[in-house]
Amino acid sequence: MSDALARVLAARPRSEKQQVRRAALYAALVAVASVALLALSGWFLTAAALAAGAGTALAFNYMLPSAAIRLFAIVRTGARYGERLASHDAALSAIARVRPALFAALAATPVARALSLSTGAASTRLVQDAGAVETALVLRSGTVGGAAAILSGLALVALAGPLAVLGVMGVAALLMAVSWALSRQLEDSGRAVLREAEWLKAQTAALVEGSAELRCYALEDWAVARIVDGGTALAAAQQRDSDVRAAIEVASPVAIGVGAALALVLAAPHGAAIAALAALAAAMALDGLAPAIRHVTQAHAARAAYARLGALLDEAPPATLPAVSLEPDLVLYGRAIAPPARIALRGVSGSGKTSLVERLVGLRPAIAGEVSLGGVDIALLPASTLRAAFAWLPQDAALLAGTVRDILVLGRADAPEAAVWEALEDAAFADRVRAMPHGLDSWIGDNGASLSGGERRRLALARAYLKPAPWLLLDEPTEGLDTATAQTVIARLDDRLRRHGQGLLIVSHAPLALVLDGEITPASPPAAADHHSVLFVA
Amino acid sequence: MAATTQNARAGAHPVRRGRPTALAVGSAARGSTVLLLGDAVAAILFAAGIAGGVAALARGMPAWPWALLMVVAGSARAAALWGSLRLGSRAAATAKSALRRTAARAALRRPSGSGSVGALLGAVVDEVEAIDGYIARFLPARQAAALAPMIVLAAIALASPVAALILLGTLIPFIGAMVLAGGAAADQSRRQFDALARLSGLFADRVRGLPVILAFQGEARETERLGQAAREVAARTMRVLRVAFLSSASLEFFAALSVALVAVYAGFALLGQLPFHAPEQLDLVRAFFVLALAPEFYAPMRRLAAAYHDRQMAETASARLAALDAAGTPPVGEGLAVVAAPAIVFDHVTIRYPGEDRDAVGDVLIEVRPGEIIALVGPSGSGKSSVLHLLLGLVPAQEGRVTVNGAPLKEIGSVAPFAAWAGQAPVLLAGSIADNIRLGRADAAPAEVAAVAAAVGLEGALTRRVGGLEERLDHRGGGLSGGERRRVALARALLKDAPLLLLDEPTAHLDAAAEAALIAVIARACVGRTVIIATHSTALAAIADRVVDLGAAA
Repeated sequence: MSDALARVLAARPRSEKQQVRRAALYAALVAVASVALLALSGWFLTAAALAAGAGTALAFNYMLPSAAIRLFAIVRTGARYGERLASHDAALSAIARVRPALFAALAATPVARALSLSTGAASTRLVQDAGAVETALVLRSGTVGGAAAILSGLALVALAGPLAVLGVMGVAALLMAVSWALSRQLEDSGRAVLREAEWLKAQTAALVEGSAELRCYALEDWAVARIVDGGTALAAAQQRDSDVRAAIEVASPVAIGVGAALALVLAAPHGAAIAALAALAAAMALDGLAPAIRHVTQAHAARAAYARLGALLDEAPPATLPAVSLEPDLVLYGRAIAPPARIALRGVSGSGKTSLVERLVGLRPAIAGEVSLGGVDIALLPASTLRAAFAWLPQDAALLAGTVRDILVLGRADAPEAAVWEALEDAAFADRVRAMPHGLDSWIGDNGASLSGGERRRLALARAYLKPAPWLLLDEPTEGLDTATAQTVIARLDDRLRRHGQGLLIVSHAPLALVLDGEITPASPPAAADHHSVLFVA
Repeated sequence: MAATTQNARAGAHPVRRGRPTALAVGSAARGSTVLLLGDAVAAILFAAGIAGGVAALARGMPAWPWALLMVVAGSARAAALWGSLRLGSRAAATAKSALRRTAARAALRRPSGSGSVGALLGAVVDEVEAIDGYIARFLPARQAAALAPMIVLAAIALASPVAALILLGTLIPFIGAMVLAGGAAADQSRRQFDALARLSGLFADRVRGLPVILAFQGEARETERLGQAAREVAARTMRVLRVAFLSSASLEFFAALSVALVAVYAGFALLGQLPFHAPEQLDLVRAFFVLALAPEFYAPMRRLAAAYHDRQMAETASARLAALDAAGTPPVGEGLAVVAAPAIVFDHVTIRYPGEDRDAVGDVLIEVRPGEIIALVGPSGSGKSSVLHLLLGLVPAQEGRVTVNGAPLKEIGSVAPFAAWAGQAPVLLAGSIADNIRLGRADAAPAEVAAVAAAVGLEGALTRRVGGLEERLDHRGGGLSGGERRRVALARALLKDAPLLLLDEPTAHLDAAAEAALIAVIARACVGRTVIIATHSTALAAIADRVVDLGAAA
């Protein structure tokens, strides 16, 4: 298991540790009580019959065994309930730690790697992989239960002599070995299931996002067929997986039949009562191995999930560099600028303006010698320092799902109400929010689903305004806006820059009615270096 | 009129609501059930083997023939179980495939703006998978649970009617406990499913929005938010499990109690110490047979209880899938044959999105003549894109009517079959640029694809790439700029060669020179077609025969 995953799993609070111990204890109690219940019942019946036959029925102590039988019945029930609750509680609480840790790790990985993980893949990590690990954790107590079952069973079989013990032990060892060997196949088949599930999710996400276009090109049936094909491939992988599982499950009844028969025959010299006890104890001991087999099975099946979660968690650097505080002076392609300067980034379509912007906010690897901040080349600065320096309006105006307020607080968590409305006003979006049924608390769907393109952009602009950074970094702030609104937005931007003293770096194809201090044309990056893009699709 | 058509269609493709659609494949699981009944019969043989063996030893006879019976019976149980598991999983695969097709279709046809991608993803993948256990385990277990205990009980009654009565007696309180627990569990299970779907949707959204979260340094807060959602899932799951475990504990209790009671009864009967007069004379072989078989009486019901969670998952999932099905499915086009540039009339049309309190578009009146180029302009939010979505059948008109060549849009459903469209956020699938353009017309020759790519000015983008048109894009669109994406969408639209062309901001993200070049391409493409362009660009609007200002109309 990966170190990082092991650390997250091991960072359990005391209550969880207690639950793990409790689950193991209860599992052992269940196993011992099950074995004892049936073995004692068998011995009791046979001994009673023999006593009756021998005419010693009155001397036979029937109170103790019959009370013990009832006690074991109650203990088994209560302990099994306790085991289930404790093991699930512990596993669920562990997974509730793993899930946010995955996101934190994703956010801390090198950006190019983090952004190349598709929504479908990320969702598979969170739901399927975490689910597989959760199941394996739930079954941990099965090992203790299995051990307790086989030990208590063998202790009882020992009454029938060492030969019977050896026989039952051999059957148990064979059962575990066969289960282990079959379980190993689950590693491959389990990996295939996860791979197919991930592919299906990635396909489905891409197709569902483009449903409008699919409609137009009459590709809906084609898209449905693609999704169904993905489902069929998943089903085939699941089939191989469940066939292996069926084979493992089937090993148990065979072992029980053979083990009990062997115990009966080998215990014959010790009399019918002991033989009955030994046969039933052997049967229940082998039956009690089932939880241990399930654990072995799931541990193998979840190995791929463990590995993938571990890989994701391991990629995050253990500690991020601390943000350093620098003067906000920029040197861009050799030109020194400082707030409140207003600079336009120019260049023909596709010349790399947006790439430069994304390098400035640390979403692409910096190019040494291109830009320096506070006298330090940004290639040497931690992303957190860069990000603190720029309030960014992304070209695609991406929004998180949530309310208007949720979206805006990303800019500044502790923003007072007045600052929020000022930002909305400056983005020419305040009237629209006032007209919404719940004002700031109105729900905006996935990536601004209920807003038009221009509305999304203005909301994203207000979010950038709210962030207290020395530089405003606006990528196409008037794209998708009509002329009148665009003029209002630019006029208010002008006013806002004057009030707040922020500097401005702006990318715009449209001519701007804004007084600027100059223009900079980014040098086009070499195609090969920029080849693996991390650009983000709405 | 439209309503009748829709009803007729609904009749042809009935949507089963509330119950798992996959119930239809119940018959496929029947083989699995029969094998589970075979397992019960083999269990009786096993009990007979062990009882016969012990009794033989008590009489001083060899036990090995009976031991052989035990081995054979154990193997028979294994074979029955094996077959049952395999049949069940195959039946589940068939059911899931059918259900996935329905879910995928509904997800793709939902009205635009309704339902998040994360939620739809959950529906098409996770919720369909939730049916698996229902078909593979629950259905066979339920059918077996009705018959197998009766078979076991009959065998026990042959050996000892009193023991059979004891087992029946413990069954009655058990059923009461199961009924009480079942109702409470269903509600909890639904809430747990909602919580998991919410977590999954939230995670998908935050991964998609990761660049923004990183740039705004919101990692810590979003991690905490996800942590909260994850803890909520854990808490809700525990609540569901507590109820589920309680019902299985009551089952265990009665199963254990029945074994204990049978053992004590049989022991006392053999000793002749019963406090009442039993109507039967028990001997060792009968007593032992009854004891060994007693746990098998409850085994099918325990199997059913173990699969009960599968049923609740399936019911919750299928209710959610049915809701998706009901929300989606706008009428599908009936194949209006349009080969030449069509005439389109918007007659006092109003569009309002579900859950919104204002019209996206109010009272639009446009008459588009065949071959005419219309530019829709107006302030952002005035509903330019909505008008195009209306034609595609992605949003319904609240009021008024739209006709295409005189046929009401409500009846033909969508102009999609004879329209080409370039939208604001073009779909880019993993595959080559050529593959992505070829979505416009699947059978286009490579030369045609190359021609449209050149026509829309994609050469610049292509020459920068090693593989040119065949270069593979990743799922995020692999480094295509905003302008290049629009060009891919336009190339697709040109490739389709349809008599109706719908363009949504085709020149956004372009500088003046690039825009002028693209406008020339668009102008050439407009010849002989009816064209509706939503745009802010005055230069683009200038090629239109008529400019409709939606801001003025509203």
